[in-house]
Amino acid sequence: MAENKDKMEAPGVFVLALVFLAVFILVWVVHLKWLSNLWTIK
Amino acid sequence: MASVFRTCPRTGLKIEKNAETLIKWNSTIAIVLLAVGGLFALLVVLTRWPAVHLLPADLYYRFLTLHGIDALLAWIIFFEMALVYFTSAVLLGARAVCPKVSWLAFILMLVGGVLINVIVLLGKADVMFTSYVPLKADPLYYLGVILFAVGALIGFIMFFVNIAMAKKEKAFEGSLPLGSFGLLAASIIGVLTLVHGAVIMIPTFLWSAGIIQNVDPSFYRLVFWALGHSSQQINVCAMVAIWYMTAYFTVGAVPLNERVSRTGFVLYILFINVASEHHLLVDPALSTWHKIVNTSYVMHLAVLASMIHAFSVPASFEVALRKQGYRNGLFEWLKKAPWGNPAFSAISISIVLFGFLGGITGVVFGTEQFSLIRHNTIAIPGHFHATVVAGTTVAFMGFTYILIPLIFRRELILKGIASIQPYVYGLGVAMFSIGMMAAGTFGVPRRHYDITFAGADFSFSFDPVVDSFLTIMGIGGVLAAAGGVIYIVVALGSIFGGKKIE
Repeated sequence: MAENKDKMEAPGVFVLALVFLAVFILVWVVHLKWLSNLWTIK
Repeated sequence: MASVFRTCPRTGLKIEKNAETLIKWNSTIAIVLLAVGGLFALLVVLTRWPAVHLLPADLYYRFLTLHGIDALLAWIIFFEMALVYFTSAVLLGARAVCPKVSWLAFILMLVGGVLINVIVLLGKADVMFTSYVPLKADPLYYLGVILFAVGALIGFIMFFVNIAMAKKEKAFEGSLPLGSFGLLAASIIGVLTLVHGAVIMIPTFLWSAGIIQNVDPSFYRLVFWALGHSSQQINVCAMVAIWYMTAYFTVGAVPLNERVSRTGFVLYILFINVASEHHLLVDPALSTWHKIVNTSYVMHLAVLASMIHAFSVPASFEVALRKQGYRNGLFEWLKKAPWGNPAFSAISISIVLFGFLGGITGVVFGTEQFSLIRHNTIAIPGHFHATVVAGTTVAFMGFTYILIPLIFRRELILKGIASIQPYVYGLGVAMFSIGMMAAGTFGVPRRHYDITFAGADFSFSFDPVVDSFLTIMGIGGVLAAAGGVIYIVVALGSIFGGKKIE
C-alpha cells in the first residue's frame, strides 16, 4: 500500500491546540459573565 | 587583522574570536543590569502590595523609573546586541566586521545607561519611563537616552554589515538560517524604532536644555510610542528567533515549514510598528478612524504572525522528539521532552505564557472599547509583564543556558537549582501578571503610590477584593524575584566560576 503522504506530522500539538482552544473559550465566557456583572451600574 | 576562528566540538559552529568577545561582554552587562532592574522591581512591587507598602512616595516613583530603564530597556537591548553578533556571525560561521565600531556601540550604550541611572538616582529625572512632555527631566537624562539609542542603532546596523560581508565572503550558502532571519526582522524594526526615538528625544533634549521653547505634547505621545512600543517588537522578534534556535540546540528541532515561519517575521516587520498606536486609543487628538485602522486591522495581521510561531515551534518539538523514538500515542514525546533542561523548559514556558497571558490580553486591551476601560489601570502593566517578562525575559534566560557552554565555554554551576529556575520565575511572573490584571479590572490605577488616597481631600475606596488580587501580585513578585536571583547567581557564577570546557 502506498504511504499516506498527507499524514499529520504533529498530531499531539494539533490535539493540544484544540484543548487550549476549548479551555480558552470556557475561561473567556466565564470572564465575560463576571465582567458584565462587575461593570453593570446597579 | 586576520580573523581567528575556533570550531565548537558539540555544535560544529565556527566561532570567531571578536564575535565571541562581543557576545560575552554584551550578555554579561545585560545580566548585571537585569540584577539592578530586578532589585528595583522587588522594591516597587513591595510598595504596591498594600500590606507592605515599603517605600516613601519619592523613592517609589524614582525606582519605578529606573526599573523601566534597566529591566525593559537596558537588560533586553544589551542581550539583543549579544544576539545580533550571535546570529550575524556565529550562526553563519562568519566574522564580526569592524569590531571597533561594535565596541563603540557597546560603550555608547554603557555610558548612556550609566548616565540615566545616575541622573535618576540624583532625583533629577522622576519622569517615569515614558517621560511625557511637559514633565521635564535634567537634560543629561535625555542625553543618556540618546547615547544609549545611538549605540543600539549602531549595533543593529552592524547586523546588516556582518551578514552582507558573510554573504560576500561566502560564509554561508542560500538563505539566512531562521534564527538570523528573526534577528534580521528585529534589526529592521530596531532601526525604524530608534530613528523615531531620535526624532522625539533630540527635540525634547533641546527643550529641556532651554534651546527650544516648546515640544507639542500630542506630537510627543504619537512619536514616543513609535519608539516605546515598537522597541517591544524588536523583543518579540528576538524572542521568537530564540524559540527556534533553542528548539534546534536542545532537541534538534527544525521548523515544519520554514517559508511559513519566515512569513511570520515579515508580517511583524510590515504591521507591528503601526499597531503601536493602541497606546493612543484614549487620546482625543486622533480620529476614531485612524485609531481603529491601526489597531484593529493592522494589529491582527501582526497577531497572525505570533500564532504561526506559537504552533510551529511546539510542532517542531513534537516532530524532532518523535524522530528520536518517542512515537507511542499522542503525547509520549511530551512526557519524554527534556523538562529538566532549563533552556528547553524556559522557551516552553515563554511560549505558553507569552501567548495565553500576554498575547490574548494584548489583543483585548488593544481594542478601543476595552482600552477606554482598562487604560492607565494596573491591568496594562499586568499585560506587558506577561509579554516582556514571562515571554521575552524567560526566553533570554533560557538562551543564556545555551550561551554559557557554547560561548563562555563554562559548565553551569548549581545544575539542579538551574533546572527549576524557569519554573519558579515563570510561576511568579504569571501570578504577578494575573494579580495585576484582575486588580486593574476594578479600576486600580497603574503607577500609583497609594491607592488608599490617605490624606487626600476626597476619600475613595476600591472594592475590598482588590487587596486579595494585589496580594497575589505581591506573592508572585517575590517568587519571581527569587527565580531572578537564582538566574543571576547561576549565570554570573557559571560565567566567572564555572568549570572550563576545552
